[in-house]
Amino acid sequence: MIRLAMPLVSLALSVGFLFFTLNMTKSRVGDPNGPLYFPAVVGIFLLIMSIIYFIQEWKKRSEAMEELRGLVQGRTPLLIVSSLVLIFIYAFLFERIGFLFSTIIFLGGLLFVVNGREKWLQNLLISVIFSIITWYSFAELLNVSLP
Amino acid sequence: MGVDLQYFIEGLTTAFHPMNILWVLIGGFLGTVVGMLPGLGPATAVAVLIPITFGMDPTSALILMAAIYYGAMYGGSRSSILLNTPGDGSAIAATFDGYPMTRNGQAGQALTISAIASLIGGIFAIIGFILLAKPLASFALRFGPAEYFMLFLFTLSAIVSLSKGNMVKGFIAMSIGLMLSTVGIDLQTGVHRFTFGIPQLSEGIDFLVVIIGVYAVGEVLYNYLNLDRLQNKNKLGKIGITREQWKRSKWPIIRNGPIGFLIGVLPGAGGSIASMLSYTTERQLSKHPEEFGKGAVEGVAAPESSNNAASVGSFIPLLTMGIPGSGTTAVILGAVIMLGMRPGPLLFEESPEMVWTLVNSMFLGNILLVAINVLLIGLLVKILSTPPRILYPLILVLAFIGTYTLSYSIIDFYVLVIFGIFGLFMKLLKFPIAPLILAVIVGSDMEQNFRKSLVAHDNLSSILFASPVTIVLLILTVLSVSYPFILSAIQKKRANKSA
Repeated sequence: MIRLAMPLVSLALSVGFLFFTLNMTKSRVGDPNGPLYFPAVVGIFLLIMSIIYFIQEWKKRSEAMEELRGLVQGRTPLLIVSSLVLIFIYAFLFERIGFLFSTIIFLGGLLFVVNGREKWLQNLLISVIFSIITWYSFAELLNVSLP
Repeated sequence: MGVDLQYFIEGLTTAFHPMNILWVLIGGFLGTVVGMLPGLGPATAVAVLIPITFGMDPTSALILMAAIYYGAMYGGSRSSILLNTPGDGSAIAATFDGYPMTRNGQAGQALTISAIASLIGGIFAIIGFILLAKPLASFALRFGPAEYFMLFLFTLSAIVSLSKGNMVKGFIAMSIGLMLSTVGIDLQTGVHRFTFGIPQLSEGIDFLVVIIGVYAVGEVLYNYLNLDRLQNKNKLGKIGITREQWKRSKWPIIRNGPIGFLIGVLPGAGGSIASMLSYTTERQLSKHPEEFGKGAVEGVAAPESSNNAASVGSFIPLLTMGIPGSGTTAVILGAVIMLGMRPGPLLFEESPEMVWTLVNSMFLGNILLVAINVLLIGLLVKILSTPPRILYPLILVLAFIGTYTLSYSIIDFYVLVIFGIFGLFMKLLKFPIAPLILAVIVGSDMEQNFRKSLVAHDNLSSILFASPVTIVLLILTVLSVSYPFILSAIQKKRANKSA
């Protein structure tokens, strides 16, 4: 049944979008409905496409969902979840402790997970050197200010 | 003739400005490296490297991005030939005979022939660009809102119908992109649309964040799936090609340059179609088609010439009409809009020197890239054997830094992650990404032109039939959507007849 989840999400999206389109504030300049024509056309189009998508998937509903299997195989789930966790930590630290240190932690963490614990020295060196190089090239060469 | 000698020379001198040569070198090299990474293509390369262009003047930024683009095209064929893992659609055809050549111990020769073919194809395309761009821009000058609206519509439907896979999924991706483009304060009336009272949304969703999220974060997450399987262990072998190999690939290269260029000019088609078409054409023309797929040198030369020509050709609709014909040019358009430049027919009137600088620098860049790819081949192969497990984290970090420099806001980190996960699921469920990206970028323009033409023409049907141009575009749009059905109907008929 997971096969039908995506078409349903798409259907819900189009219905929700149309709902908000039709309830949009009317414009006080020009055509009061001006802002909603285009979204309305897009919303209706998505609705039609979602219905076709639903029918296509409905016909195949008994087939297994091969496409998503890769997500739960091997260490993929671990990699994805830990990357996401590290991203949130990065976002939390970025403006608090500054670009350089937070990037070293973020990149180091990623490398530990992705490249493996055994190569800790390589990971450490890469994260420190890469962070310093990017910090230098952004802040000094490209004049982009970083915290 | 579309050449203005004075601007051409002016462009030549700007292109050869040491700083600009340096940008071409840097862009070409970085593009090659990212393009070489298995699973990552030119769109990702440009997306991750966008932040480098901030603070640059638009001309240099355009030069740099073009260099990244064709660098990534070169790089993409490296990983196709050596690892059998194309970075994107346009590099797929290079695997058909490139990888067998590698298996036969001819990797070095395959790489050389692909570099030479790319160079010659690129040069053909640059000549084509010089001849075609200016007339096309003058033609586009006469376009009104209705013509532009129809042009956007045609481009979107072409990119949906030409991206492989399910057309319904393509249209869903496109619609979501258009939806995203409507979020924020409406430019004409000031009405808040889909902002739900969240102040950050009133400025709209930054399309660069969508691009980096889907192309960089999403692609890296997707490539986690195959992380442990890729490793280059193939020997390079000789680099120099034999006289016999050159004789066999000479004509395929020359034939397919112009073909690739013309396909590249068409919106929606681009490198994937060009290289596939060239490959099948050569196989049909060949005196020994049985060698194709087993390491025929023409099978590498033809698609390589044509996809590089297509990438140059795709700059024509981008610069003359502001219409990106592919995912990568859409990303480039997004970046130059960010820099305050507006590609379109006026560009040729207002800043012709910029256009000619780009042309000259593409010429220079193609030559430099062959130099990079032939002379530094050893280094590049070494980079390619750097495990992706190290390079993917670096890409991820660059994506976040880039996003931060866009708006200096941490909130964009979360937006980036959302679009990264969205991109991951799109890839897993085989939704084409280019229609989404294209729609996000052109959506707002498309809507403005739609509304302007509504004012001028009252209703939808009179927009469609506003002028000969819109009628032609309407026919093309209908054809682009219906041709797969027509094609399968014809095939069915034929099958019935023969049965």
